[in-house]
Amino acid sequence: MRITMIKFITKRILIAIPTLLIIVAFSFSMMRVAPGGPFTNERALPPEIERNIKAAYNLDKPVYEQFYIYIKNLTKGDFGPSFKYKDFSVKELILNGLPVSVTLGLSSIIISLFIGSLLGIIAAINRNTIFDYSVMGVSLVGICVPSFVMAPLLSLFFSLYLGILPTSGWNNGNILNLILPITALSLPQIAVISRMMRASTIEVLNSNFIRTAKSKGLNQSYIIRKHVIRASILPIIEYLAPASAGLMTGSIIIEQIFGLPGIGRYFVVGALQRDYTLVSGVLILYASLLIFLILITDIIRAILDPRVKI
Amino acid sequence: MQLTQKNIKNNSLLLDINNLNVFFNTPEGTSHVVKDANFNIKKGTCLGVVGESGSGKTQTFFSITGLLANNGYAEGKAFFKNTNLITCDDETRRGFLGKSIGFIFQDPMTSLTPHLKIGDQLAEIAIYHKKINKNNAMKRAIEVMDIVKLPSNRDIINSYPHELSGGMKQRIMIAISLMCEPDLIIADEPTTALDVTTQSEILNIFNDLKKNLNIGLVLISHNIGVIAETSNEVLVMKDGQILESGDTIKVLTKPKNEYTKHLLSCIPPWIGN
Amino acid sequence: MNKNNIKIVEDYANIKGRSLWVDARRRLFQNKAAVVSLILLFFVAFLSFFGPFFLKYSFSDTDWNSIYYPPSLINGHFLGTDGNGRDLLVRILYGGRLSLSIGVLATLVSVFIGVIYGTIAGYFGGKLDIFMMRVVEILYAMPYLIFVIILMVVFGRNIYFLFIAIGAVEWLTMARIVRGQTISLKEKEFIETSKALGQTNFMIIWKHIIPNLAGPIIVYITLMVPSVIILESFLSFLGLGVQEPLTSWGVLISEGSREMETAWWLLIFPGLFMTITLASLNFIGDGLRDAIDPKEY
Repeated sequence: MRITMIKFITKRILIAIPTLLIIVAFSFSMMRVAPGGPFTNERALPPEIERNIKAAYNLDKPVYEQFYIYIKNLTKGDFGPSFKYKDFSVKELILNGLPVSVTLGLSSIIISLFIGSLLGIIAAINRNTIFDYSVMGVSLVGICVPSFVMAPLLSLFFSLYLGILPTSGWNNGNILNLILPITALSLPQIAVISRMMRASTIEVLNSNFIRTAKSKGLNQSYIIRKHVIRASILPIIEYLAPASAGLMTGSIIIEQIFGLPGIGRYFVVGALQRDYTLVSGVLILYASLLIFLILITDIIRAILDPRVKI
Repeated sequence: MQLTQKNIKNNSLLLDINNLNVFFNTPEGTSHVVKDANFNIKKGTCLGVVGESGSGKTQTFFSITGLLANNGYAEGKAFFKNTNLITCDDETRRGFLGKSIGFIFQDPMTSLTPHLKIGDQLAEIAIYHKKINKNNAMKRAIEVMDIVKLPSNRDIINSYPHELSGGMKQRIMIAISLMCEPDLIIADEPTTALDVTTQSEILNIFNDLKKNLNIGLVLISHNIGVIAETSNEVLVMKDGQILESGDTIKVLTKPKNEYTKHLLSCIPPWIGN
Repeated sequence: MNKNNIKIVEDYANIKGRSLWVDARRRLFQNKAAVVSLILLFFVAFLSFFGPFFLKYSFSDTDWNSIYYPPSLINGHFLGTDGNGRDLLVRILYGGRLSLSIGVLATLVSVFIGVIYGTIAGYFGGKLDIFMMRVVEILYAMPYLIFVIILMVVFGRNIYFLFIAIGAVEWLTMARIVRGQTISLKEKEFIETSKALGQTNFMIIWKHIIPNLAGPIIVYITLMVPSVIILESFLSFLGLGVQEPLTSWGVLISEGSREMETAWWLLIFPGLFMTITLASLNFIGDGLRDAIDPKEY
């Protein structure tokens, strides 16, 4: 079992590498292709300075060599210098924003998975009761009210009206400042996950093997613990990667609204200012993270479902 | 039935059904799927229940064991060990299910939990009802695997359902129902999904259970051949009603009801009694 | 004689199709939530496209004497005004035109690409299918908003490019679904019959496979439009979407959230319109899905 698992992981990693390469190639070409290259926003520079800058950014070498250098730097974690913040490298900017984004993202995914699954299972077991309808109702709100509407509303209510939570700012990771952003970020995912879990649990509850379990005279809580949960959680595991993608997307908005200095915020500023290295650096970062998550997801699924061929 | 008094005295009456009616609440109204059923089952005998799809044969026995869908409900009497299974509370019924009453379903391919090992799915029923420890439960599991003629080595115990064939899975289903030494086993179309060879092996197992362990059996099937091979008495059902009942040989050779005659006429002539 | 046989096969396929639709329509109209949503959606769309003709303010009329008016029935600014004295109701309706149009058009673009891509991959199978699906998997790995933002940054904020950028991201799901459906349709008997009668692959795809895809495609269109609208709104909210003087719900909500402390109506009303539209589309999509493929209990 161990050896096949290692082979499985290796195979998945090997597939992941070309995917990553393509994304890197994409961001590399994008920078070269973009109209209004690195320096169109500034006045024409004296030729010597222009030559120096070109050399600094490797623009005088042939394209394939530039690509090679680019990849070599990436593996060292060097994303290149920022095009706009003259004194910072992209790596430094990303590291600056990392603690904020990681705190936000990690808390949200854990909360979303946990609360969403819990609500979904309970709703499925107590189908067509008030609890079920409330869960469905709240999740509908989470899906239909976009985060950039929900977040200001939450702000309006809890900060301005009730005055118990601060409207914005990071405040060095103070818990009070985290509550609103994490809530606003998690709500759409909780909504989706609870619906998914509910549907999946209902399907499992109606399945033949649960009928067999009932015919054994086992009580409901035993059946749910041993037979239902592991079977109904499979679609949620599959959803882990898209959920993370959703959180990455959402964090861009949330950081903007709540004024949190995370990677998403840097990304937006970079996009507005055409800071190509910053923007492509973030893309590569997020894409790598997602590919890594997909790998983890595959492994977890193989562990939970004995039917998956390793 | 006049025989009932005698059988109660002999203490061989397992299940006594009186005026059983089963209904379903559907968007189109209330559906009456089992109409006024009356019959009983004695120890060491097999009752065959034959009829087309939709005749109510399965729902009759789902209603007794509490396996009806949420929109179904039953009225009437189903006495098992001095308890009316229709009106008793869930906990009491569950105490019988798995322990004294076993149920075998039609589709073995999907009737076992995919993520649990076979050994665990066998052992859990004994651990739950008899409160024995895992070791003893596993020992019992090996015993029952013998009864259903499965090789009782560790291989099957440690396998997952998807690694077994349909025939093996159905034997495991029978094995599960035997774990706690039941008095009654209800088998719903147990061989329909299997090939003919496996079918006859499974039917032999049922006949052995009846003879050697004195278990009462109910065998539901739309296949008259299967019924003829195993049952002492037979019920013929159509549209929720029992049209004819009695000793199997008598019903099959001298049917009184038109519908029974029609059913029998559909069998190719070369299948003997 | 060959043509005759082909016609018989087609008629058979079409008969099966027709009775399905009649059934599905009946089931859909029994679904109260879906019916209410259809009415609401129609109402919103009608207002957005025809409403402005009945209102006296135009969406760019600035009136410095009436800034930040709360909603009132008296002065004709039913939903209030913004910081430039522009009437909110008219702007919401114009924004509706844009958001709804982008929603529908971008979705159509992605359906177009997705259907072609998916039918080819599913129908021809083999190495072509594996390769095409690899590409889809790779693209799936990219967080779509970031991808779209980058496209917008690189190629500019032209509104037509917005359609393409959004369509370029959303077609993946459609391609996957279409491919799955094509594969299961491919196995059905009437395809084999058509092949035996000598129809070309193209004809088979065009006449048999695509019409039978209509069901799932329609369901996913209704579920995709809300996600496209949200995507456009995200972009506008971040300042990367539509530009002045055009406005969309995303822009309005973004402006509104900045001013919500003093002028709550600037956030609430656009938000309300957007939420109602998204919720309606969701209910209609759910209703369609249940109507076309009802699951008992």
